[in-house]
Amino acid sequence: MSQRTLPKTDVVIVGGGWTGLTAAYELANAGQRCVVLERGRHRHTATSFAGPEEHDELKYALRYTHMQDVKKETLTFRNNRDQQALPMRRLGSFLPGSGLGGAGIHWNGQIWRPLPSDLEMRSHYEDRYGSQFISDDLTIQDWGVTYDELEPHLDFFERICGAAGYAGNLNGETRAGGNPFEGSRTADYPNPAMKQPISNTLFGKAAEKLGYNPFPMPSANVTQAYENPYGAQLHPCTYCGFCERFGCGYYAKADPIICVYDRIKDHENFEIRFEAQVLQVEKSADGKTATGVTYLDENGVEVFQPADTVCLNAYALWNVHLMLVSGLGTPYDPETRTGTVGRNYSYQTIAAVDAFFDDSITTNPFMGAGALGVVVDDFNGDNFDHSELGFLGGGYIACKQYHGRPISYQPVPEGTPRWGAEWKRAVRENYNRHADLVIHGSSVSTHENYLDLDPTWTDAYGRPLLRMTFNFPDNDRKMSDYVMNRAVEIAREMDNVTSVKSVNLAAEGNDYSVVPYQTTHNVGGAVIGTDPATSVVNRYGQMWDHHNVFVFGACLFPQNLGYNPTGPLMGLAYWTLDHMKNDYLSNPRPLMDA
Amino acid sequence: MSQLFSRRAVLMQIGSAVIAGASSVPRHAFADLDSQPWFFLTDDEARWLAAIVDVFIPQDEFPSASQAGVVDFIDFQMATGYGQGEGLYLKGPFPEGTPQQGYQLPMTPAEMMRAGLTELRGETDLTAMPTADRAAWVDDLSNRDNMLGDVPSSTFFEELLSLTNEGYFADPIYRGNADYAGWRMVGFPGAHAYYTERVGDNKPTNQPPMGIAHGQLNQVSPRKIEQGG
Ligand SMILES: Cc1cc2nc3c(=O)[nH]c(=O)nc-3n(C[C@H](O)[C@H](O)[C@H](O)COP(=O)(O)OP(=O)(O)OC[C@H]3O[C@@H](n4cnc5c(N)ncnc54)[C@H](O)[C@@H]3O)c2cc1C
Ligand code: SF4
Repeated sequence: MSQRTLPKTDVVIVGGGWTGLTAAYELANAGQRCVVLERGRHRHTATSFAGPEEHDELKYALRYTHMQDVKKETLTFRNNRDQQALPMRRLGSFLPGSGLGGAGIHWNGQIWRPLPSDLEMRSHYEDRYGSQFISDDLTIQDWGVTYDELEPHLDFFERICGAAGYAGNLNGETRAGGNPFEGSRTADYPNPAMKQPISNTLFGKAAEKLGYNPFPMPSANVTQAYENPYGAQLHPCTYCGFCERFGCGYYAKADPIICVYDRIKDHENFEIRFEAQVLQVEKSADGKTATGVTYLDENGVEVFQPADTVCLNAYALWNVHLMLVSGLGTPYDPETRTGTVGRNYSYQTIAAVDAFFDDSITTNPFMGAGALGVVVDDFNGDNFDHSELGFLGGGYIACKQYHGRPISYQPVPEGTPRWGAEWKRAVRENYNRHADLVIHGSSVSTHENYLDLDPTWTDAYGRPLLRMTFNFPDNDRKMSDYVMNRAVEIAREMDNVTSVKSVNLAAEGNDYSVVPYQTTHNVGGAVIGTDPATSVVNRYGQMWDHHNVFVFGACLFPQNLGYNPTGPLMGLAYWTLDHMKNDYLSNPRPLMDA
Repeated sequence: MSQLFSRRAVLMQIGSAVIAGASSVPRHAFADLDSQPWFFLTDDEARWLAAIVDVFIPQDEFPSASQAGVVDFIDFQMATGYGQGEGLYLKGPFPEGTPQQGYQLPMTPAEMMRAGLTELRGETDLTAMPTADRAAWVDDLSNRDNMLGDVPSSTFFEELLSLTNEGYFADPIYRGNADYAGWRMVGFPGAHAYYTERVGDNKPTNQPPMGIAHGQLNQVSPRKIEQGG
């Protein structure tokens, strides 16, 4: 048991990333005394991420120096229930963050909104295609919160980030050059879209020729001097190409340190403790509420921090892990298909297309930025007719130039050997002649993809590891194939392209692997909804079983959209905080009847 | 015949184009490592590694892997964090897994390096093999599915290949990529990155590469590796 008990605080927040620091900002300003517990260290954009030292591909992109240490916490993984799950001994497929700012310091800054239909996925498909359309093995469901409800919060987060883009649907009016499929916006992006390199421009032209609707990817790589609503000053992006996996010492990539932390750190209601590893959430004797959290402090002392309200902001996977080790909610059991914690884990379905140019094109791939892309959304969500396709969902197709870091950026045409003289020549000749297309696909939830606790392996603190059981559902294999083939057609249509190759990570026969990087878009496991039998939290992000526990992050997604998660999950965070501030805190109780 | 793969030897052996390229870097004060012992490798291991990494990245207009310091890089990596198991969860038990489950060996990269090198060197003295035959031997190694002691040959092979690639292209502070060999080859300008004005210009970049410690630290040239034959 705990060696020390601290005085009670109003709110304890587990995790100091995008959602945790934002919760602290909003709740501290609403008069709540907030304690943030962050397992990693203090670091700062100004002092920790400056070039040229930060521009070290080996240290940050390949040795993961900014990310979570798997020696302390990791998970076990298997493709299906017949296998024994084994520890993920090294990071690979996804790269969770640790330290001030969480993964928010080393994200790309691709900042999206969900499509309105994404949030009502089950009812939308049933309405449009009939109730038989959705196959029985899919557990997709509605979010319980609509686009119109989230819109002001999605908009606010774009302002916090100084998002750069071009609205395609402003107050219901479609504008050429933007995304015609997006939900209606009440305001344009706060900053103009990024400049595009030649590869992305040629992609856009080809897409247009084929009748699609290319637009600049919305970015949290800021394009001009900008002050956000909290008073943070952001600077224009230098297209430095050390963006994803790196912190941005230029103050140009919106991150939770400069955008949020610096604006709250001196507030009397705010306190953050570093190297504070939360081990579990404690419950009251009747089990109905949480009483606070137990953590290991920087000296290894076990401390109990009592609190009236507990916010879980530890990243999707570790929120679910904390619930499971603390006995919050009911764990999902795939045998009986009952229970909710760990249910509906899903991911992102990725395919890639490489186009190679003749020598009249010089791409200079190192002039890149995390969200430097041109996108078509014509095959995302339900933006296209699915009636004859045999799958649901979709993805965006983007041509991106996000880095030219030479260890990892080695595009070579089909048939090139993996080493030797021919390989060496191909690496040299194609470095400047390549367009990088990604198919960023949705991921449906099923009965068989889920999270629970591992029976064998433990973390550095003696807790059972989280166990992930996941493989690509057939629906997504088909979806990815279909959208990838549309991307191949665009690539073939691009001017000056001499050859094209493609790979679908979810192709028939390819089992999901934790080894190659795909995305850090782990979602689900503690999903939002209106029915306690199929969701862990109600539509306000409040746990059904413990009304003073609020949950943030992508674990809320009932299935994954075709977009990157941070825009949507921050929209949800502001929505939850709004209801905490304006309703719950003055009268703590379940905000919905179970 | 013994071959010297030092930086000086490289400059003497290869064509004038590269000498012209390389001679634009004399602002480095080159401190030779030759008199210092390896951090991790033995001389014999270093020679064997030089032979195999030069099959992965042979010399052409640009230096080979060992000429660019890849063996020095591997030596340094094995002696420091990565080689010593940083970022690697090493709690047992260690049952065999599927490829999708990733690395499952009960050893650090340095331990794996030693085990693999010991087995393979015991089996084949690559340094004694005529250069022309080495590529075929490496190709064969890549297709094996036997064990090298406790290490599956494919795991060892992939580790060597990726370390070689890293050593050729990582910032020279890690002792590979000597004279920016890898960066010059592809045209990567390095760590000092500011391109706002140039995005979209579709023009070649002629900026010479600059690493993290450019002009500040003594750059280290690769050790000489005597290749017995
Ligand atoms: C390489 C990369 C690129 C990405 N690019 C994009 C992108 O372009 N667009 C996009 O939308 N998303 C992107 N993401 C995802 C994005 O980073 C996350 O969605 C976002 O950071 C989630 O915020 P969060 O607050 O939920 O979690 P995090 O930012 O991960 O913060 C969680 C914090 O909790 C701490 N923590 C965890 N467990 C404990 C514990 N037990 N005790 C105490 N502290 C704990 C962690 O150390 C961490 O600091 C990317 C992620 C990565 C890694
Ligand atoms: S590309 Fe732009 S936003 Fe990204 S790290 Fe570089 S300067 Fe910052």
